[in-house]
Amino acid sequence: MKKLTGFVWLFTLLTIIFGGMEKAYATEIGLTVTVDKNILTLDDKLKLTLTVYGAQDVSQPTFPEIEGFRVLYGPQISAQTRIINGEVSISKGYTYMLQPVAKGKYTIGSSTLTYKGRQYTSNPINVEVIESKPSTDTKTIDLDKLVFVELHTDKDAAYVYEQVTLYFRLYFQKGLPVADIDYTAPATRNFMEEKLGDQRQYEVVREGILYSVLELRTAIFPIVSGELAITPAKVKCNLIVQEQRNRRGTPFDDFFNDSFFDDFFGSGQRKYPVERITNPVLLKIKPLPEDGKPKEFKGAVGNFNMDTSVKTSRVRIGDPITLSISVYGDGYIQTINEPVLAFNNNDDFKIYPAESTTQITNREEVIRGRKVFSKVIEPQNTELRNIPAIVFSYFNPRENQYKTITKEPIPITVDSWEQEIPIQLAHSLEKSSSSRRQVQLLTQDILPIMTGLSSLKNQGNPVYKNPFIVGGLFLPAIVLVTTFFVVRHKDRLQTDIGYARNRRAHSVANKRLTLAQSALFGDSSSMFYAYLSRGIAEYLADKFNIPAASASGGKVEELLRNIGVSDDVIAEVARCLSDFDYRRFSSDAGTINERENSLKVAAQLITKLEKQL
Amino acid sequence: MIRTQFHIFIFVILFLFGGVAFADALSKDEAIKMFTAANEDHSQAVKLIAEKKLPEANKKLEEAALQYEIILSKGFRHGQIHYNLGNTYYRLGEVGKAILNYRKAQRLMPGNAEIDANLRLAKNSIEDKEAIHETPAVIQRIFFWFFLLNQNGLAVFSVLIYVMTMLLLIALVILKYRWLKRLIIGFTVGLLIAVVSLGIKMYMERGIDHGVIIAKNCPVRYGPGEEYETKYEIHEGAECVIEQVKGQWYKVYVHVGIKQGDSQQADADKKEDKEIRRGWLHKDAVGII
Repeated sequence: MKKLTGFVWLFTLLTIIFGGMEKAYATEIGLTVTVDKNILTLDDKLKLTLTVYGAQDVSQPTFPEIEGFRVLYGPQISAQTRIINGEVSISKGYTYMLQPVAKGKYTIGSSTLTYKGRQYTSNPINVEVIESKPSTDTKTIDLDKLVFVELHTDKDAAYVYEQVTLYFRLYFQKGLPVADIDYTAPATRNFMEEKLGDQRQYEVVREGILYSVLELRTAIFPIVSGELAITPAKVKCNLIVQEQRNRRGTPFDDFFNDSFFDDFFGSGQRKYPVERITNPVLLKIKPLPEDGKPKEFKGAVGNFNMDTSVKTSRVRIGDPITLSISVYGDGYIQTINEPVLAFNNNDDFKIYPAESTTQITNREEVIRGRKVFSKVIEPQNTELRNIPAIVFSYFNPRENQYKTITKEPIPITVDSWEQEIPIQLAHSLEKSSSSRRQVQLLTQDILPIMTGLSSLKNQGNPVYKNPFIVGGLFLPAIVLVTTFFVVRHKDRLQTDIGYARNRRAHSVANKRLTLAQSALFGDSSSMFYAYLSRGIAEYLADKFNIPAASASGGKVEELLRNIGVSDDVIAEVARCLSDFDYRRFSSDAGTINERENSLKVAAQLITKLEKQL
Repeated sequence: MIRTQFHIFIFVILFLFGGVAFADALSKDEAIKMFTAANEDHSQAVKLIAEKKLPEANKKLEEAALQYEIILSKGFRHGQIHYNLGNTYYRLGEVGKAILNYRKAQRLMPGNAEIDANLRLAKNSIEDKEAIHETPAVIQRIFFWFFLLNQNGLAVFSVLIYVMTMLLLIALVILKYRWLKRLIIGFTVGLLIAVVSLGIKMYMERGIDHGVIIAKNCPVRYGPGEEYETKYEIHEGAECVIEQVKGQWYKVYVHVGIKQGDSQQADADKKEDKEIRRGWLHKDAVGII
């Protein structure tokens, strides 16, 4: 049954794993053709790779039509499976090494793949073959193609406070080791900014070359209108070059063979510093439209919603009601101002300034969050039946219009005190008679008294002065020490034979004496004395952890003397052992009284020994 | 013999714990009754203020204050009582006593927003502004247990961690699971932090005597006596630290910006000294927190 259950579990697990993988693999099939460079000399070699994405059980794609090159060798087949953040991506590559045969501009034609009845075609690539000794300009072009950067935004025009996503991308040719990346962000004066998500890493093909891309995203919010410029971003990094001088023919060899790099970085690998600067980005920022602007609008731009709640709906005049207003959605949360309470009469409520907390809940694609306003209001008369409607206006840049959210009035009940008289505060401090103990009329009122009785207990007695608690602190310590000794005793009883025998010696001896007592009136006196003799001998053997047979007169005397037992007790032990053994094997059984006396002597002797051992 | 020992034991128990029982002369029920009555007086006073019947309101507030004071004088202490008493004194115009009671309430109910708000309001109305700032919010968040729990709360917290640690030790002795050692180390560290926090709190609240000026204007003198000249003047509501007691005089230092010179001088002549300043104050002018 257990095996069956285990099998079912295994089957379920495998189904989940492979089912999940199948789902993960169920991506679109793609075919790309890439080269390692698209400008090369007649001395260079061109690495051409046909890559099939999304499947590995594919037939070889057709070799593209190429003029001006001959195939040196290939294809080298490679398969790759990558798991990034739980997403599985698979690919299969076919790499050829080509040799240019004549200078000129060539086009590498499309490759075709047929998979499960469908045909997939790659894009053509342009390649230029130049003279064997390239000029400095050409080298620069190639270096720029090796590593380059881009800075752009998701839109060219936006409203004030509308989110614009700024993308910075660092491209470097796949397989090129890049280290020590130092990014200097662009200056975004006139913008507020929030970082968006984590840095992304992916691959793209540009002009037939496969690049790895590092992407950083920032949400920027313009705070003024007009033509705004985002200054260029800058990145510094090092290309790591293994010291292999035999790679002849590439335009970078002259750079990397420089003795300066040899001296600076030593042998093994060399770092080639690269600095790249993006172009600036221009944005047209439009002011918010004046048409249709609601009077409650206070500058929030985005797409928002609003929730409201109160902690209590039944209060007495002057008691505080905490109103919680939560505004949430997409947009720059910091700019959300307090929603408006549509009072009919300003004297109906006494209003305290709201306190707010801001929280960004999502920053993957857009900045999303919530701002919670806690506002205390105090009703000033019993006629009030509800808290007035709460109104929040914002501008939605996607829909190009202002929106207003209105929350319906929240019903409340206001009870009176004994007399239904509202509390009124004077607007200035009255200095009529500033003697002591004169009631003050306050310009700013204090919060009301606390009337909760449930928690009213005497806090005046410190807990650490309570003798019960102080006394109780010793209890766990006592239990701990007791437990320690009990556990150690039990452990030693099981593991230390000498200890176990020592601890049990007295009880075993008492059992022997009990047996002797039962044999006291029997016919066999030898049995009686055998019990007595064995009782004392085994007691001593247990105490000294020696075999019972070794507990004879001379040995026992020596052991007892070594541990400082008094001479009279030692003599008594020797006498008893001798006497009991004699009587055990002799025909002189002795009278009942003599036997009783012997039993008594043996018991007293064991008691004495127990005290001294 | 056994009976005699039993009697001695009972006597010792009564001697040890009887004190605690008799110290609470005011039972909880009585305290609640008086507290409710005082609250009612206070509420009526608020309504009378609204009606601008100030003499009647004054009387009600004084009655409320008296009742709160009686509860406290009987040894029954609670943050709410101090807070309400602070409110009552504030309405009576005695800002010094109000701040004194808000401070006492703060110690018993740390982290209470209402107490903090009223204390802030009261301190805004006093003449001598503080030159030192409250503990930064970041520190308060990091050491939240220290700022949210009062002495008793920290003591209970420490005892709970201690009991848990001992239980884990007992479990380790019996069961000998190795992973228990990590838990014990964690709890021991927690216990250490809790005990150190409690010690610091006790030192801050009991080791150092803080006071609030409850007299309207109070001369701070060069020595402990009327014969000494006035060094500077301090005003109601200012807070001070008491360094030494001599007879009816306290040696104090203050962190507040004190207005120097004759109070009759023009404002332009008054200078503010924001350094710690020492001097002697009469006991009657200071309320100990």
